Amino acid sequence: MSAPGLAPHLLTARPGRLEALRRRPVLLAMAGLAGLGVAMVAGVALGTVAISPGDTLAILAHDLLRWPVAQTWPASMETIVMELRLPRVLTALVVGLGLAVAGTTFQGLLRNPLADPYVLGTASGAALGAAIAVLLPVQAAILGLGLANLLAFAGALLAVAIVNRLAGGSGRATLTSLLLTGYAVGSLLAAGLAMAMYLSGSQLRQIFFYLMGSFSQADWQSLAVGLPIIAAGSLLIMLRARSLNALLLGEEAALHLGVDVRRERAILLGLASLVTAAAVALAGLIGFVGLVVPHIVRLLVGPNARLVLPLSALYGAAFLILADLVARLPGELPVGIVTAVVGAPVFVLLLRRHRGGYQL
Amino acid sequence: VETRDSNQQAPDRSVRRGSSIAALLLATLLLAGAPGPALTAQQRAGAGFPVTLVDDTGAQVTIASHPARIVSLSPANTEIVFALGAGDRLVGGTDFDDFPAEAVPLPDVATYNGLVRERLVDLEPDLVLAAGNGFTPDADIEWLRGSGYPVVVLYAETVEGVLADIELVGRAIGEPGAAADLTGRMAERIAAIGEAVAATGTRPRTFYQIGSEPELYAPAPDSFLADMVKLAGGDPITTADPAVFSIPLESILIADPEVIVLGDANYGVCPADVAARPGWSDMAAVRAGAIRPVDDVPVTRPGPRLAEGLAALARAIHPGLPLEDPPADPVPCETIEP
Repeated sequence: MSAPGLAPHLLTARPGRLEALRRRPVLLAMAGLAGLGVAMVAGVALGTVAISPGDTLAILAHDLLRWPVAQTWPASMETIVMELRLPRVLTALVVGLGLAVAGTTFQGLLRNPLADPYVLGTASGAALGAAIAVLLPVQAAILGLGLANLLAFAGALLAVAIVNRLAGGSGRATLTSLLLTGYAVGSLLAAGLAMAMYLSGSQLRQIFFYLMGSFSQADWQSLAVGLPIIAAGSLLIMLRARSLNALLLGEEAALHLGVDVRRERAILLGLASLVTAAAVALAGLIGFVGLVVPHIVRLLVGPNARLVLPLSALYGAAFLILADLVARLPGELPVGIVTAVVGAPVFVLLLRRHRGGYQL
Repeated sequence: VETRDSNQQAPDRSVRRGSSIAALLLATLLLAGAPGPALTAQQRAGAGFPVTLVDDTGAQVTIASHPARIVSLSPANTEIVFALGAGDRLVGGTDFDDFPAEAVPLPDVATYNGLVRERLVDLEPDLVLAAGNGFTPDADIEWLRGSGYPVVVLYAETVEGVLADIELVGRAIGEPGAAADLTGRMAERIAAIGEAVAATGTRPRTFYQIGSEPELYAPAPDSFLADMVKLAGGDPITTADPAVFSIPLESILIADPEVIVLGDANYGVCPADVAARPGWSDMAAVRAGAIRPVDDVPVTRPGPRLAEGLAALARAIHPGLPLEDPPADPVPCETIEP
């Protein structure tokens, strides 16, 4: 797990407490795994309704592992653990993982530290899709996903496709034109969203709720659809970490390293957009995770995508499970509020304590 | 796991099976003549069940037995259940429940953000009274139905519809007699108000101000509120489109209201503030000082206090109207300084 020759500044940076960690990616991965484990246990064990840790464990052992545990709990408790909390925690895991991986990819691809999964119009596209679904008088569901989820998924992908096309086609677009086209298309879609919200009358609350992100409607069915897309997309991105590293050095340098810049950029863009679209379809727009988790990981281990991608996935998943737990304990706050309120100060603190150079 | 799965997939079939069982039961009852005399209260309570009814979304709902654990997902539904004397069977409500006082401490199953599913499952309800038109989010209603809870969705578009909904709740909770009494009394009061306002011989142009921040909001044409203003003897000034509640000041100026009813009086809007708005001084209502606050909750909440709300609205439009109903408490007006 080393990255020869890719980050020379690593060797010249003034060592600090954080610098020491840079050489311990295995330690960080283990800490991440432990954190994820704690987050999952807490996410299933805690909630609006109090269920004792013993009952929670017994229900999990009985239902998941088929252990012959005597059934002493009421059926409602089993429903809460197995049908509400477990799918919810797993959905938060998958969405956090996906957003962090997509964010890392977009930041690397666009070589822009302000890039996040929503930068190329996916957010506005998904939101407009969901808003249109709320306004339509039809009720439809495919594979357990409601119309709002489906149109959000389609809207996000369509928005990226339009941005990519307008900016010059697959792989040919310059980074600046991609970013600016993304901004322009996003603004146009946002106008459409504002119009839809204006016309929505009593349905406004539903659109607003979608814009803030939430896991309150998570269930096994939608997870079964979203999980394969996000898992496969994230895995394929991680397998292309080398290309992402090369692209970070600039197009010319990447070409000299033997990377087919256009092709790799198009593939990574497509995969990251797919992962983002699936994430917003599952949980609405959750900000901050995709922007800041990759930065925090880079502060800890440096810019090598081979390390940043899997560690971001771990940290993003654990962070979002905990954020969702904080959001639902007082009774269903939008999770986007929690991610920002918890994440922003942590990020600023890390930036301030970090004395060494920081690069994408 | 198996038992839960079969429970969850059952509702579609069980609804149909339930309705045929109900039909069968009905047929046997008719054939066998009236049931024997000495029924205990417990038996009477269970006698009408299982009951199959069609809710306001057109869905057929079968309620297997006399509901003992009811969850209400709107303040209006909560009020209806209490008014039918079944408040002691309510185990969950909303964070907006404010009437009657016993409803306030109920666990909040519905919040501004939708259903708190965990809390609902924990309460093990045998009847859920939801609200339509997006008040209870569609996804939550689907989830409730998919999870096998008997859900009755209520959404009244007219005053008549509210009375029908109260009777629907009466059948769902096994209190059809109490519901018929209540709607009978409400219909009488509504009719009396209708007669009183008709006797005035006037039908003033009325702007019911739903809100004024950041824009002005008025009833949409054919909406529930427009219906209320008409029944209260006013000629409602409405917006241009059934889907739009905001109204430009120009439209109000052209319509020249003779009465302005402040539906937002509970939220710190006072007659003096309205009269002082630039451009409003030439309106007939402002010149005549006919700007009157009402308590919007009984006026807009589709529940058992609707006749009271209508009386208050009728008095706001026709001051000094001779009605048997005691006048509502005046709405205290405290201007909230920006």
